[in-house]
Parts: sequence; structure tokens; C-alpha cells
Amino acid sequence: MGAHKGHPYMLTLSADAAETIARHAEATYPDECVGLLLGGLDGDVKTVVRALAVENRWAGQVSLADTDNAESRRDRFYLDPRDYLRADREARAAGMDIVGCYHSHPDDPATPSERDRVGAQGVGGGTGFAFVIQSVRDGRAAEVASWLLVAEGARFEQEELALV
Amino acid sequence: MATITIPTALRQYADGSASVALEADTVGALLRGLVEQHPTLGKHLFSEQGKLRSFVNIYVGDEDIRYLEGEETPVAGGDVVSIIPAIAGGMYV
Ligand SMILES: [Zn+2]
Repeated sequence: MGAHKGHPYMLTLSADAAETIARHAEATYPDECVGLLLGGLDGDVKTVVRALAVENRWAGQVSLADTDNAESRRDRFYLDPRDYLRADREARAAGMDIVGCYHSHPDDPATPSERDRVGAQGVGGGTGFAFVIQSVRDGRAAEVASWLLVAEGARFEQEELALV
Repeated sequence: MATITIPTALRQYADGSASVALEADTVGALLRGLVEQHPTLGKHLFSEQGKLRSFVNIYVGDEDIRYLEGEETPVAGGDVVSIIPAIAGGMYV
């Protein structure tokens, strides 16, 4: 699935993690959902052992555009730093790391938006952190894709995603 | 010594370290000490004007320094200071 660009980077999702992401995206539909990916990084391969659902706390916290509407979680998400901190502690305690995040695109392709790119700048980018997007159509989980923030945050590039 | 934890994607600019222990009195001094050790981290944490970037959150224990004394927030030995990215997005600009 998806046009992978031939670079060696790749994300493997455990069946359990893939299931958590799909069910979370369906449960919050038509709103966007958000969560973190816990696992390990080994060379070019990020292995996701567990997906941790986080509450979408979008309420206009960050200004990404003039058109921001604090009410709408239908096309907006915000991952609260406190949730990241909690997940990071959980990951470290289990000998894992946060190797990425996920969010859903209700009735929209699993392709990052310009807004996703702007909102990802705090992460730092690179090949060690995946941005997974789960598409949901009519309330049912559809395609899922993994993206890397590359070129100093200038664009996303798709990476291979394998279900294991 | 206080410990400063570095989020996954920024470790590439810190020789892969997950955390660094440093001697400092304030959060600001701690961050600048960290950047001194790992200069390429600098532009990810601070703007050209030397201000902490808006998407970068600094926590002392469980508290956001924005609700404490900002970069002047004192740190004591044994404190854990966390650099935490905010992640946001959405389908439309
Ligand atoms: Zn998105």
C-alpha cells in the first residue's frame, strides 16, 4: 500500500498496535484521534510494540493558522505535552522509547496536510520518529501510512509500513 | 546535578543521549549548558532571538515552566527537567 520511495527507512506495527490505532480512529470518528507509538529504534527500522491512545485536547492552544477554530476536533488535533510526558515515562519504565505518533484523517486520505507539517515542527523530524496517519471512511478504518518529517521540517516523505 | 531528558527525535542532535546530567541553578542555565555540549540542539530549542520555541515545552517534574518562573525557574540537585514537544495538526489549514 502507498508509494514508497525506495529509502531504507521503515516502520513495523505490531498487530496489537495496528488494532489500537484503527479502533481509536473509529471510536472518535468523525473527530480526529491522536496517540503515541511506543517501541524501539534499530538502525533504519522503527518497531512499534504498543500504540497508546491519547485524548485529542485541541482547544485552540497553538496558533497554526488564522482560521483556527477552537471548537472543532473534526479537522484538528493537539497532543498535550503532559500526555507526552506521561507516555515517555511509561515507555522508559518499560525499556522502550516513543518512536512516533499517530492521528486519524476522517473521510480523507492518509496523507499529511500542511497543517500537520507546521504542527510537527516541535518534534525535530528525522528518520527516528514516525508520523502515522490512519484514514477512516464512513466510520470504518481504511488505509494507514507512515511518514517522516525530512529536509529540516520542510516536507514529509512516506516510508514503508509493515504489519507484523 | 539536575537531569534533563531529551525526546526521541532530538537525540540525533545530542549524540543519541536520552538524558544528560548537568550542574545549573536555573532551567535557562541548564538548557544553555545542554546546548553548549550539543550545539546543533540549539536551533531546535531556541529561535534566532534566543527565545524558547513555542512548540518546545519544558517541564520541571510535572510542571510546565510557563506556569513557574520560565527560564528563571530554579532547579535543585535531583530535579528531572523534561524537554517535551507539542504535536498538533489537522486536515485543513
Ligand atoms: Zn493530519
